[in-house]
Amino acid sequence: MEQKLRQEAKTLLEQNKVDRIIGFEPGSLKFTATPLITGDKNDTERLIINPFIVNNLADFLTGIEGRVGIVAKGCDSRSIVSLIQDNKVARENVVILAVPCPGLIDLAKIERLVGKNRDELDDITRDGDKIIVTVDGKKKEFSLSQALFDHCLACELPTPQEYDILLGEPRPPAPELQTSGQNITKLKETLPTERWEFWKNEFSRCIRCYACRNACPACFCQRCFVEETEPQWVMPVPRWQDNLIFQIVRNIHVAGRCTDCGECERVCPVNIPLRSLTREMYNMVDELFSFKSGMDKEALPLMAHYEQEEAEDLFR
Amino acid sequence: MTQQSDWKPKLLGFLCRWCSYAGADLAGTSRKKYPANIRVIKVPCSGRVDSLFIIKALRLGFDGVLVSGCHPGDCHYLTGNYRARRRIAITKKFLEYLGVEPERLQASWVSASEGGKFAEVVTEVTEGVKEVGPNRLFSERKSNGTEAKTGS
Amino acid sequence: MADKKVSKKDIARLLEQWSRQFTVFAPSKESGVAAMAEWDGKDTGFLDWYRNTIIPPKASFLPQMEEMFHFQKGEEGYNIKTPPADERSRLLFGVRPCDARAMAIVDMTFKDAYEDPYYLSKRKNAVLVGLGCTNPCESCFCTSMGTNPTDQTNVDLMLIDIGDEFLIEEVTAKGKELIAKTKDLKEAAKNDEAKATQSKKTAYDRVTRKLDTEGIKDRLLASFDDKEYWEQTAAKCISCGICTLLCPTCYCFDINDEMVKQEGTRFRSWDSCGFPNYTKMPMENPRQEKWRRVRQKVCHKYEFYPMTFDVIACTGCGRCIRLCPVNWDITRVIESVPDKAEAKK
Repeated sequence: MEQKLRQEAKTLLEQNKVDRIIGFEPGSLKFTATPLITGDKNDTERLIINPFIVNNLADFLTGIEGRVGIVAKGCDSRSIVSLIQDNKVARENVVILAVPCPGLIDLAKIERLVGKNRDELDDITRDGDKIIVTVDGKKKEFSLSQALFDHCLACELPTPQEYDILLGEPRPPAPELQTSGQNITKLKETLPTERWEFWKNEFSRCIRCYACRNACPACFCQRCFVEETEPQWVMPVPRWQDNLIFQIVRNIHVAGRCTDCGECERVCPVNIPLRSLTREMYNMVDELFSFKSGMDKEALPLMAHYEQEEAEDLFR
Repeated sequence: MTQQSDWKPKLLGFLCRWCSYAGADLAGTSRKKYPANIRVIKVPCSGRVDSLFIIKALRLGFDGVLVSGCHPGDCHYLTGNYRARRRIAITKKFLEYLGVEPERLQASWVSASEGGKFAEVVTEVTEGVKEVGPNRLFSERKSNGTEAKTGS
Repeated sequence: MADKKVSKKDIARLLEQWSRQFTVFAPSKESGVAAMAEWDGKDTGFLDWYRNTIIPPKASFLPQMEEMFHFQKGEEGYNIKTPPADERSRLLFGVRPCDARAMAIVDMTFKDAYEDPYYLSKRKNAVLVGLGCTNPCESCFCTSMGTNPTDQTNVDLMLIDIGDEFLIEEVTAKGKELIAKTKDLKEAAKNDEAKATQSKKTAYDRVTRKLDTEGIKDRLLASFDDKEYWEQTAAKCISCGICTLLCPTCYCFDINDEMVKQEGTRFRSWDSCGFPNYTKMPMENPRQEKWRRVRQKVCHKYEFYPMTFDVIACTGCGRCIRLCPVNWDITRVIESVPDKAEAKK
């Protein structure tokens, strides 16, 4: 797949079909890939596809000018389609290089399982349905369920439906999807007052870095409501109240555009389980309106569409 | 939930100018009785109500929020209330998931001629909010997390 | 010369002793993220997992948010009530040399033209007990930034891991005084010094990430207007605040008032030059474009700060590299800054 990717990307630049390629290259840390954004065809030699290409590159589309050749996993391609639905990105300005995704390895999960930090591991590889971690010379095996990201275990579209160039054999979704998170199920079993306390506690450590918002392709507002001063909806001060409001409203604002790529939770430096919010919203939107984000580029976005009758049981 | 005997619920109502606000007016001129705990903000359309307003209202200390608009199909701007319906539906369910009492966000369709219905809705909503007690969602807890946790 | 040492299993007793005189802070994950937190009185489990905290120790002196004063509108002007100065005696246990050096670097700013009372009242009564590293991360590059994993320069005491014990290096008068008053410490054995030297060397050699900062100030000065270079460098940055908010040498803060009717509170809280609105003013925003903000961050740390204070405002702690959502790496960037002088030749 990598060879094909490099070839195609180079060709796209050579034939001036795109101004830039957005993909991944090896990162500067172990088991890390980093985005590569380039207009130089020689840089395409560095493009990679591996189990650590976590970023949702669609995030860069709203900040970049010109035509772009973009590497997209299933979730990323849904984000791209969602941006097309929102008229933020023109379909003719993107060339989608589709990566059929087998699921990515969650380094945080591996660290918890092995009890060591990622830079103390010798190697992490995938062999079919097993993830093999070599630490201190010894190999340990883990199942996909133990080692892949939760959002990968819930993935409904590993292979992009909307693409220009398919880089490998299409992969179907796994036979059984773990569509909820551990947290979500647990939370639903607790009393409402306890749930609110849980979130109070989690958001006490939010530092308002906005990485969750900035890593999210669906958050593309030029001026986010948190930056508004007249009126001031939330204080920039990182009190849990303001932090929680920021996240609640952010989730509601991206409802129907969030594709559960899991980036928000991964990038949070203080380990707030954000996906327990985003995934619940994702499920809710499907339950209430049978809507799945980013599936059909001709479809209207969630909030632009309506049925004659829906959700009536919630209204007097 | 313990309730102070002198607590009176404070409700915020977002009423659409064409239907619900007129309906509220009619309730007044018809001398229909309803609890006086509700403060009203007139919006051009229920579709104007961003979920942000609702959350902010709860943050400011309102015990309950009511959003009311034209009946689906009768919106003065044709589709505004359809947007409101979707938006409020997900807001309501999301807040419930987070642990906020469902009584704190309520929504209704009240037309300009439904003065009686408006009075009924406000009465019911006020009762519901009385049941769940004062809004302490955003009160400070004893130690604000950041103080102790980050070594300050 | 270090005379005293303490067993790792006696750390709890040591901290307990010290907590009679100080409010002791130690690494903790209780809040959900590794940070210096008020020691709970018994847990020393951090000795097993602690490499470094995510929230830097600067948070003890420059907290994420701080009330500056309350104000109330009176008949003639405002009545201002400043909270009593926080002059608690803090003991920070387990400070890494990179963070200690970073605190010294930040001190320079808060003691400069204006002495910041909020920061200094906390800082002056603090005792820093350093803990030498044994297991530097792959993102660490302290040895290139004027310090090393066991550097005692900026702490009052430095504990060096010599196996089951820590050798206690007494650095400052404050540190010596503290040790003189501390009971139940063991006398250092004859070969402990050698063990310590070995421990220091091992840690030093484990720092594999290197950065050559020779001439960086001038290279940055010459490359300031190289828009193409900076746009390419900034391309993958997503303008969040992680690298700056969690950087031990960053100190920017925002001031906000919260007012209800006629009274309110003035807060200060962490701010980041990476945020798009950081330099927004009524007339214009000089750093609207991302590449300008990225350029600013790099130049502030490696050019402007050295110009003012003669020291690079980076100590190689590696947090920015570890935590960046897109793996933007300051060491790679510094290496790549074009050498215009070379090019001209």
